[in-house]
Amino acid sequence: MVDPLRRDVLVHRGLYVLMALALLFLRLLPLGNGANGLPGPDLLLCVTLCWLLRRPDYLPALLIAAVFLLEDLLLLRPPGLWTAIVLLGTEVLRSRIALTRELSFPLEWLFIGLLMTAMFLAYRLAFAVTLMPQVGFGFAMVQVVASILVYPLVVWLSHLTLGVHKPGMGEVDDMGRRL
Amino acid sequence: MARNRTSPEEYTRPIRRILVGLLVLLLLAVFLLWRIDSPRVERFRTALIDRVMPSFDWAMAPVTHATTMVQGFQSYQSLYQQNQELREELKQMRGWKEAALRLEQQNAKLLDLNQVRLDPKLTHITGVVMADSGSPFRQSVLLNVGARDGIRDGWAAMDGIGLVGRISGVGRRTARVILLTDTNSRIPVVVQPSGQKALLSGDNSAEPPLEFLEKADLVRPGDKVVTSGDGGVFPAGLLVGEVIQKPDRRLRVVLAADYERLEFLRVLRSHDLEPITDPGGLVTPPVGADVIGPPPPQAEVDAEAPSGDGNG
Repeated sequence: MVDPLRRDVLVHRGLYVLMALALLFLRLLPLGNGANGLPGPDLLLCVTLCWLLRRPDYLPALLIAAVFLLEDLLLLRPPGLWTAIVLLGTEVLRSRIALTRELSFPLEWLFIGLLMTAMFLAYRLAFAVTLMPQVGFGFAMVQVVASILVYPLVVWLSHLTLGVHKPGMGEVDDMGRRL
Repeated sequence: MARNRTSPEEYTRPIRRILVGLLVLLLLAVFLLWRIDSPRVERFRTALIDRVMPSFDWAMAPVTHATTMVQGFQSYQSLYQQNQELREELKQMRGWKEAALRLEQQNAKLLDLNQVRLDPKLTHITGVVMADSGSPFRQSVLLNVGARDGIRDGWAAMDGIGLVGRISGVGRRTARVILLTDTNSRIPVVVQPSGQKALLSGDNSAEPPLEFLEKADLVRPGDKVVTSGDGGVFPAGLLVGEVIQKPDRRLRVVLAADYERLEFLRVLRSHDLEPITDPGGLVTPPVGADVIGPPPPQAEVDAEAPSGDGNG
């Protein structure tokens, strides 16, 4: 009925949405992790980049946009801006999939780190251009650094538990094309 | 067959690129719309949160309770350790000192509580905290009371002891409280014994600084800070906290409200400011009966008019 490969993609898309909702939910819990605490990593961004690098077919652009727009709206960020930046970042990554597939992990990590920093700077720049008040640079940078540090863990966990890995040599997709 | 495999890719790639570009433009347009006409988009956001959050509630409540239980358990563990330490100190006859200090602190806290006197005209609605802002750069909480319960923008929210923040954004079933620690929060306050007025402006730290103090040397660490009621935003005299001085010589305020556990918040119904509709009998001649409010004092106007003529 449904091709197993196709089903695998759909299952992972569903998992991605579920995970995004769970992460949002955890962040919204009223546990009073108030001021003074250092901002933690942006896990959703880590997951998105990690999955995209491994299996771009799991995350269509529209899905990424929808998830991040929801996050924008619920977390009181300017709606659309971060979504647009994430979308651009993922497209940059997507267009270089052939290149990144051959990278070793440290290089991949470096690449992702640079990408995250660039996205963060673009976000700051957009804030500055539209004359909006923004949080201190160092304080916000802590979040980026935390995201970069936690990235290998996300990669490892999503490989271990959800089986998100780079396609091997002989794997084909539902159309019979090579991945 | 090999040609078939690659050809659809070649057709779809440019189209895909255009579509993604359009999507990005659309998102940026949403952002610009928000930047230009913020209230409308914010209203949409409030409506969305109002729809989404209460449906999360059934799941949030157990998780929150479980976590607070774990925290409670951890505090029991530390209590046990504390107990052990105290026993050791008891051997050295120092336990008495500890107990006395603790009692003194408790006494001070109770005394502090007794001095909170609210305006008797103020009534309040109590709401339960449903959700955090979810972002480390925003300090706000979501209450489960909203326009349905008569909540309005700008009202003050307190916990049992001190001011917590103000309502900003009201949905039908939810309302958002911007905490005093948020970077957008500015509250006019008075430092108590000296009567110095200042602005308490949040900066994302647990102790917001006092700004625009006229004579900073009159303010000492330990002074009490209450709301001043200036600008008609807040009722006057709500306890905010206590002044401290940080090593960088900046005066900051330790908030009286317990920010670690915001669970129930009181939203104070502020009475509306009475608008002045009467132009004043002395400035202009009395207008007709369409003026709402008490009629201008006719007799005084009459008495003033001839005297003015006499002088001129």
